Amino acid sequence: MSKVQAFAIQLHYCETIESALNLIELGTPLSMVLVDNRLPPHGDFRETVPQIRQKGFIGPVGVISGSLDAAYFQSFQEYGVDFRLDKAELDPTAIEFLLQEYLVKS
Amino acid sequence: MGALLNSCRRYDFQKDLEKALNRVDFFRIFHMLALGAGFDHFGVLQLGQEVEPALLTTRLVLHDLPSGLTEEYDRRHKLSDSLLFKSLHASTVPSVWSASMDEAAALNAGTDFLAQIGFDLVACVPVHSIVGTRYVVLYFGDNEDIDRTCHVELCYNSTTTFDYFYRFVLATRAGMGLTARETEILRWISHGKTASEIALIVSVSEHTINSHTATILKKLDVVNRTQMVAKAIREQIIQ
Repeated sequence: MSKVQAFAIQLHYCETIESALNLIELGTPLSMVLVDNRLPPHGDFRETVPQIRQKGFIGPVGVISGSLDAAYFQSFQEYGVDFRLDKAELDPTAIEFLLQEYLVKS
Repeated sequence: MGALLNSCRRYDFQKDLEKALNRVDFFRIFHMLALGAGFDHFGVLQLGQEVEPALLTTRLVLHDLPSGLTEEYDRRHKLSDSLLFKSLHASTVPSVWSASMDEAAALNAGTDFLAQIGFDLVACVPVHSIVGTRYVVLYFGDNEDIDRTCHVELCYNSTTTFDYFYRFVLATRAGMGLTARETEILRWISHGKTASEIALIVSVSEHTINSHTATILKKLDVVNRTQMVAKAIREQIIQ
């Protein structure tokens, strides 16, 4: 499996949105948040990402999903999402691009 | 896209293009095109003027090349000196550059860029925006070659994707945040008009023109009217 070479990444994995919110609340320094579109028992990113924003996280938020076909994905920006990515597209090149785009350039 | 009927289209990823909203969406599409044609990376390069010094880092408006590669290239080489760059100014024919040519042929064929950037194959698809500015979609890989059918398809798909990318991403940042009135005043300044002359032309006070001019200076991040006009032309806000 190939890995991102240019950046050292520390990954915090949260299984639920509640644990992610706790992590933010604890003041853990986070550069970017990647959210699985479906985090049971919640519906989709329209329910989860606004909660992340309400906790005060102002960095880039991306939604990862097995399919981006649903019509509601077209309004992702209205819910505080910066970008969307298909799970199949998540490779080292994509990760490096996102880090460059949202963290290095800014 | 209202002006283009569905029956006129000859590409099969219309749905993706219609849905694309930001740079990441276009990264996804160009990246998919690159991988689909056997390449590893892509870059959308603004050609600009041949006589201007060209840095690969600043000319690439979107790319997925490994971090630091373009900066390293610019430290060691001059893009404007490469035969590939010169050929892009000399012709709009799509081309494929391979490092596997024999040494003598390679010397004359401009493979210097390939050796410098570190890929075995580069495909160039010259494209242009709806306002005529020239760009090139580049595909980088270590594949041996690309067959003709795949190349033709890649050219068509690149042209199509670039059109959407320009209209939905590049064009919206092209004005650098200037309002229509500020752009109009900028245009008159570029024609050599004074503040009082512009005030008469656009029917506002000279004070208002000076206020607009100060805002333009700030938005373009420049210090005087000469630099303002130079930057506005460079950024293609005015012709």
